[in-house]
Amino acid sequence: MGTIRFREVGKIYPGKEPVVALDRVNLEIGEGEFVALLGPSGCGKSTLLNLVAGFEDMTSGTLSFNGGPVSSPGPERAVVFQEAALLPWLTVAQNIAFGPTVQRRGRAEYEPKIRELLRLVGLERFADALPSQLSGGMRQRVGIARALVMDPKALLMDEPFGALDAQTRMSMHQLLLDVWQSLGTTVLFVTHDIDEAILLADRICIMSARPGRITREIAVELRRPRSVEQLTDPAFIRHKAEIMAEIRAAQKEHA
Amino acid sequence: MNDAPARTMAAAPRPAPAKAMGRGAGFAAGRSRAALRAVLLPIAIIAAWQLAGTNGSLAGGVLPTPDRVWDAWVMWAFGPKGMGLNPYSGTWLDNVLFSAGRVAQGFVLAMIVGIPAGIMIGWSRAVSGTVDPTIQLLRPIPITAWLPFSIAVFGIQDMGAVFLIALGGFYPIVVNATHGARDVDRNWIRAARMMGASRFEVLRRVVLPAALPAIFTGLRIGLGIAWTAVIVSEMVAVKSGLGYVLWDAYYVGRMDVVIADMLSIGAMGLLSDWLIVTVEHWVLRWRRLQTATR
Repeated sequence: MGTIRFREVGKIYPGKEPVVALDRVNLEIGEGEFVALLGPSGCGKSTLLNLVAGFEDMTSGTLSFNGGPVSSPGPERAVVFQEAALLPWLTVAQNIAFGPTVQRRGRAEYEPKIRELLRLVGLERFADALPSQLSGGMRQRVGIARALVMDPKALLMDEPFGALDAQTRMSMHQLLLDVWQSLGTTVLFVTHDIDEAILLADRICIMSARPGRITREIAVELRRPRSVEQLTDPAFIRHKAEIMAEIRAAQKEHA
Repeated sequence: MNDAPARTMAAAPRPAPAKAMGRGAGFAAGRSRAALRAVLLPIAIIAAWQLAGTNGSLAGGVLPTPDRVWDAWVMWAFGPKGMGLNPYSGTWLDNVLFSAGRVAQGFVLAMIVGIPAGIMIGWSRAVSGTVDPTIQLLRPIPITAWLPFSIAVFGIQDMGAVFLIALGGFYPIVVNATHGARDVDRNWIRAARMMGASRFEVLRRVVLPAALPAIFTGLRIGLGIAWTAVIVSEMVAVKSGLGYVLWDAYYVGRMDVVIADMLSIGAMGLLSDWLIVTVEHWVLRWRRLQTATR
């Protein structure tokens, strides 16, 4: 339930000059694990996530989810998009109800759940608002609620807080930590923010670009349950120094 | 006659939302000043036209003055039917309804075919590759060039006019619907697929609503062309409607009726455009809220 396994996965975008987006990537993510993919833009971290989501096909290697192949997108692998990607003509509640609706689930089953999720993400009063009437942080809360309403086995998050200001981002981190610690869903979290990766993840996979590959895996030794206060924890600082050294070394290698 | 076009001109570009009216005296004054400015030119033109004429017509005696046009219009609209001397008397409403009915039929046909076709062309590369080249090949043929074809196939009948209207309205509708369906945010489609939507559900619940703003643009352009098409086909291929009267009145030298007819066509065009804009405002409520908060 919720395990992801990459075996020698490669992805080449064809063209006049083919781009190697991923080069022999190996990665195993266990049930209920929170893994962050950390790297600069263009390192293929979003491509890796899109493969699990079923949005793109790989060129070589194998990818399995819960032991089976991934062929198309599905509600068991819920995606939280960078800019939320809510449907602007639907209200907050309708956006969250989209999944259950197209899956033909009974209204009586999902309506209490939507109310509960709205409370969880602090948007009870905005059920009938349109996405355009919300702030960026509120929109992303809807994006998370929309994913959680489907009871996914894995949550795939593609730089979900990248467009938010620092304070909103911090409150979103706390929200995500709280939600994840109570649900225990497997999370694959793509980011280029070192602090975010350390604060949230059990394990950080550092990626480098051209060709995209995982250069190092770091197990984060920060006690759970976590909170944003641990940003000043000595263990946090140690991890940050370690990761920055790794990234600098990778840059020197490329230059 | 003076106040009729004045009212429509002031209202047509931006129907005042109820909310805007309550924004204070300064705003209301600004609006009435704008309305006043909008009617200045039409009033001036009508006044100059009236003053330039003598004995009810302009130099040369071809063009009647506004008062004569007005009289002809009143007679055409409200006069008794069946008088031998004035065959137009009392037939205005019938002819307006003939033309409007044809426009409605042809336009509905254009929508029924154009919207789904455009969505499918924008959505599917296979459909686009098969259908779009043919549409692009036929599109440069002006609607007027189809007249002989239409008469040969449908004869001097309603169906010929409806065919031309549908064809003329179809092109802008299909082209805009195609663009609308093609420009849908990729992540909206991905999100819907991720949530378990089938391809058909994605079309219905994501692509169609996302394309609606573009579709309405197409509908407005298409409706304008539909009115052109109905007038042209009534002048040639049918024996009733505003287009038929226009040409018939010209033949018998009734320029007062011709001008009254032209103005009637313009008013009907404005009215039908206003209808579409009203529907659009209602269907795309979410967009108005969007721009209001940004």
